[in-house]
Amino acid sequence: MSDKRRFEIAIYLAFFAFIMCAPLVLEPFWLNRIAKYLVFGMLGIAVALSWGYAGILNLGQGLFFGAGAYMLAMSLKLASPTSLQQGSDRPVPDFMLWNAEPGSPTELCCINKASFLWLPFQHQWFGVFMGLVLPAGIATIIGIIVFRKRISGVFVSIITLALVLLVRLVVIDAQPITNGFNGLTDLGWFKVGEFEFDPYIVPTYYFVAVALCLVLAGARLLIETRAGLILQAIRDDQNRARYLGFDVPLYQTFFFAVSAGIAGLAGMFYVVVSEFASPTFMDLTFSITMVVWAAVGGRSSILGACIGAIVINMISATVSETEGFAEAWKVIIGLIFVLVVLYLPRGFAGLAHDLLDRFLARGKAAPSQHAIEASDASQLAE
Amino acid sequence: MAQVALTIDGLGVDFGGFKAVNGVSLTVEDGELRVLLGANGAGKTTLMDLVSGKTKSTEGRVFLHDADITNWEEHKIARAGVGRKFQIPSIFKDLTVRRNLEVASCRNPGVLANLRFGFSKQAKQDVDHVLDLIGLTEEANRLAAYLSHGQTQWLELGLLITQNPKVILLDEPTAGMTQAETRKTSEIVNSLKGKHTLIVVEHDMAFVREIAERITVLHLGSVLAEGNVEQIETDPRVRAAYLGSKGIG
Repeated sequence: MSDKRRFEIAIYLAFFAFIMCAPLVLEPFWLNRIAKYLVFGMLGIAVALSWGYAGILNLGQGLFFGAGAYMLAMSLKLASPTSLQQGSDRPVPDFMLWNAEPGSPTELCCINKASFLWLPFQHQWFGVFMGLVLPAGIATIIGIIVFRKRISGVFVSIITLALVLLVRLVVIDAQPITNGFNGLTDLGWFKVGEFEFDPYIVPTYYFVAVALCLVLAGARLLIETRAGLILQAIRDDQNRARYLGFDVPLYQTFFFAVSAGIAGLAGMFYVVVSEFASPTFMDLTFSITMVVWAAVGGRSSILGACIGAIVINMISATVSETEGFAEAWKVIIGLIFVLVVLYLPRGFAGLAHDLLDRFLARGKAAPSQHAIEASDASQLAE
Repeated sequence: MAQVALTIDGLGVDFGGFKAVNGVSLTVEDGELRVLLGANGAGKTTLMDLVSGKTKSTEGRVFLHDADITNWEEHKIARAGVGRKFQIPSIFKDLTVRRNLEVASCRNPGVLANLRFGFSKQAKQDVDHVLDLIGLTEEANRLAAYLSHGQTQWLELGLLITQNPKVILLDEPTAGMTQAETRKTSEIVNSLKGKHTLIVVEHDMAFVREIAERITVLHLGSVLAEGNVEQIETDPRVRAAYLGSKGIG
């Protein structure tokens, strides 16, 4: 194992330890906030995987985040007390009742034309299952179409950008089953067995933190595999990889889908800690903000992008609440971004890599210098 | 007589009325090194594009041994055993030299089959051997982006050697090289003779003399002549079409 590899493992472990220790010093309000930022860290990982390692700049990552969020939110909406208050013993989302046509049955199956789609979501784990499968499935279909046609670079970005806007419109328009602009609110708590994950308790924080660590380690290991290596080769030169015999679209689609699955997972965790899902998840600004997190943290580093997302959100929360900066904080964040892109094209992770290389090189050079001096000295002595 | 490795039978392509390659037929034996000569626009690179699947042919067939590989997808042709080096060197520049070769050493093309760590001892030895052959052992842990032009060309050759295809197509492997670099390239290419079947497009006559056994001359998309260096040099049609009056070298 090289020194650099050891260092890298140490940094990962330090990060794990750091987020695990946060509950010791933070009060519940901040803990819930940090949990949200950890979820954004997960999104940073998804962006780094597709942009940094697969070379696919997805400007519509919010589509997958939103898909995951809505799937779980539907289940949690049905588990919420607000769905049982209207005199029914079987759950019906309150907004459906408010908007029901007079005389229509107050059953989930048929209160409006599409409400039957909600039926399987009475099981929370169906929502969880769909929260992973739907984003990954959408990504697979997009991937098969786009990558088989050898569309690449900025054109993929434009397609994903258009798609997220399209889906956002559809979600808003499908008001009878999505509650349109308002999104799904007043959700129940996520349950495992009898345990309820109240967003403001420490176990919920650990739930998110452990998931983040697992996703982080999983993504890092995934790119250490041969498939991950081949993926990076494809990023550098598609044609060369193709003529070495690799089915390029298959690799791109696979990793695009994995990235989408991670984004979907993040969407679900966001619903657990924030108790709502809304079309704002599919706003263009949000998808682009994710790319900014990854760019500042370092898109070719899984951990860098993850920390980038967490730290930028912490800074913007702190700065926006500091008196005097309340008006100017967006300018400050924007300025940080511009400076990083100009002077650190590989983000802060790239800077850390370079510093580490220099440090290790000096560490190596020093002993050999000693060795030369020692041999000189012994020659002199003879 | 040795077995035929590659058979090209009446191959042609029609680019909207312009036939860049027009009914070319040739056979290359197992382990043979064949040089393709021809003036600009003679159809040398297009012929390689047709064989490797980059361009789909509109007539004729290509056989690798007994398998008909005409117009297959590129990665399938590559898996069947045809490797190709491009005119503009293409390598994976953000990976180290060793990692470049490791990519080429993945024998199984599937995604799921490659969800595993590390490489077999055999694969590592192969990579070490190729590093030695292309003279990049010292550079093994450097990013490929920092290699000189000549080294980049050798690395791409190394990718092909690691991939270990039956037939190797080389498109101007010495383009832009110094004399010393050209000499080293001819050493590498010569060491491949016998183990692989090679088809080389080249303009550098010194290099052609170093490596050539048989030469096929293309002119305006068709085969003009075929033979060894002396035969080609003295062929009046070739002189008229390509070499001018000065001859080879």
